[in-house]
Amino acid sequence: MYAVLNKYRTAFLIGLQSNVVYRWNFAIRSCFSFVQLAVIFILWRAAYASSPDIGGFGFGQTLTYFVTLIVVQFFIGAFNEDYQINEEIRNGLINQFLLKPINYFSYRFSIFTAARVVSGSLVLVPLLAALPLLGHLLVFPHGAWRLALGLPAMVMGGLIQFTIAFCFGMFTFWFLEIQGFIILSLALESILGGQMFPLDLLPRAAFRVTQCLPFYYQMYFPAAILTGRISGHVALRQLPVQAAWVVGLFGLAALLWKRGLRRHTAVGG
Amino acid sequence: MSPGRYFTIWLACIRYTLVRTLMFRGDFFIWSLVELCWMSVNVLMILVIYQHTASIAGWSEYQMVLLVATAMLIQRLLMGFFWTSIFEMGRNVRTGDFDFVLAQPGNPLFMASTRKIDPDGLANSVLALGVVAYAVHRLGLHPGALDLALYAALVLCGLVIHFSILVLTISLVFWLKNAQGMEGSYFTLADFGRLPRAAFKGASRILFVWILPLVVVTNVPARTLLQGFHPGWVAWTAAMAAAWFSLAVFVFNRGLRRYSSASS
Repeated sequence: MYAVLNKYRTAFLIGLQSNVVYRWNFAIRSCFSFVQLAVIFILWRAAYASSPDIGGFGFGQTLTYFVTLIVVQFFIGAFNEDYQINEEIRNGLINQFLLKPINYFSYRFSIFTAARVVSGSLVLVPLLAALPLLGHLLVFPHGAWRLALGLPAMVMGGLIQFTIAFCFGMFTFWFLEIQGFIILSLALESILGGQMFPLDLLPRAAFRVTQCLPFYYQMYFPAAILTGRISGHVALRQLPVQAAWVVGLFGLAALLWKRGLRRHTAVGG
Repeated sequence: MSPGRYFTIWLACIRYTLVRTLMFRGDFFIWSLVELCWMSVNVLMILVIYQHTASIAGWSEYQMVLLVATAMLIQRLLMGFFWTSIFEMGRNVRTGDFDFVLAQPGNPLFMASTRKIDPDGLANSVLALGVVAYAVHRLGLHPGALDLALYAALVLCGLVIHFSILVLTISLVFWLKNAQGMEGSYFTLADFGRLPRAAFKGASRILFVWILPLVVVTNVPARTLLQGFHPGWVAWTAAMAAAWFSLAVFVFNRGLRRYSSASS
């Protein structure tokens, strides 16, 4: 057991090292996320100017939601894991994992975790820089239970994000070029994951539909718990649904891996 | 080389791209769907916000749809005509494949930025134009031929400004050697173009309205359809297009001096 864990700990440490090499890339990206926050700030401030209550929330609460979403994204979001898997399959680098006693999903997950430790730490820098400007506008609800439920929701949200990215990476076994699929899923995730607007602003029926999809549990769900857009009993009712999505997506990833390998041709001498 | 000769070269590039698109029809379909999805996402966002508010900075729902559709039209035209070529330029400078462009008997910026077109981007610019027409219809506007010609000219100015900002962004590769991901900064900045000018206050107004003309290039054409010809704003947009294009050409040429060829 220890040997197994040690194997992935090493993968994590290697991932940490290689991601620290790209620290400037992540730093620039996190800074631009806060430029995006300026777009959000200007748009929503203008919207709130004519209506001080939107969906039952004030401007400060909506801004808090978006700031939390950005931070959550850097801690649990899948950035380019699908591209990396795509590259490894296309270039044949995946062959080395077929010959070694290592689980490819766990290996990639170790690298993903390392990358999120680096990107999550780096997003705190522009956040701290922006706090003097935004701090007085942010409104976090009271209650330690929000952290107690929000943090597991974040962890499971990360698992969903990574597994979806892994599944898209697996599509390479069938299509070779998957960039179009990835950007298509990005558009879906941005609207159904609550990145464009808080999902609770959707008409009631549409909001109910989103709750049945995995995108809802990727980032909206943890961010909504932490920022008070979801009540305690709703969070407790939806956490098992989120867990079910994690298990379901694990199963799908395993199936795609198994089926994909049947189509894979390893060439080399 | 005469302008006619450049036009002939450009037509040859379009022919090559279209033949290539016909070879990869599935790819064309997927990318058209991708662009359509992103356009829908932006329009949907506006529609959802207007479910809860009556106006954004004095703009009604369909006025905002007109503004967002104008921003999308300019961006899709950029994607259709120039994106792939300029994106590849950044990569080619890094790998040394830019030699191929420099070896061609023509202006390097023209050769580098017009090699390929994206038919899916162009197909979606037609859709964006459809959204503009729908918003105009819902607003009960009846623009005359002159208004439409002016709108087209202003969209063209917007295209020139977006082209220039993209060239400036990618030209960083001449200094940084690796500008991978820098194109993302262009998209972040372009998002400001979807907002009404009146929503900007204080420092953001100076930066995004007056220094970076990203807000002006979308607001002025939309306002022209809504309120008619405003000579001051039209002259400002045209002057900005000329200034930003000159700056892009200057920076590109300065960067070119730093380019070290891949040949041994």
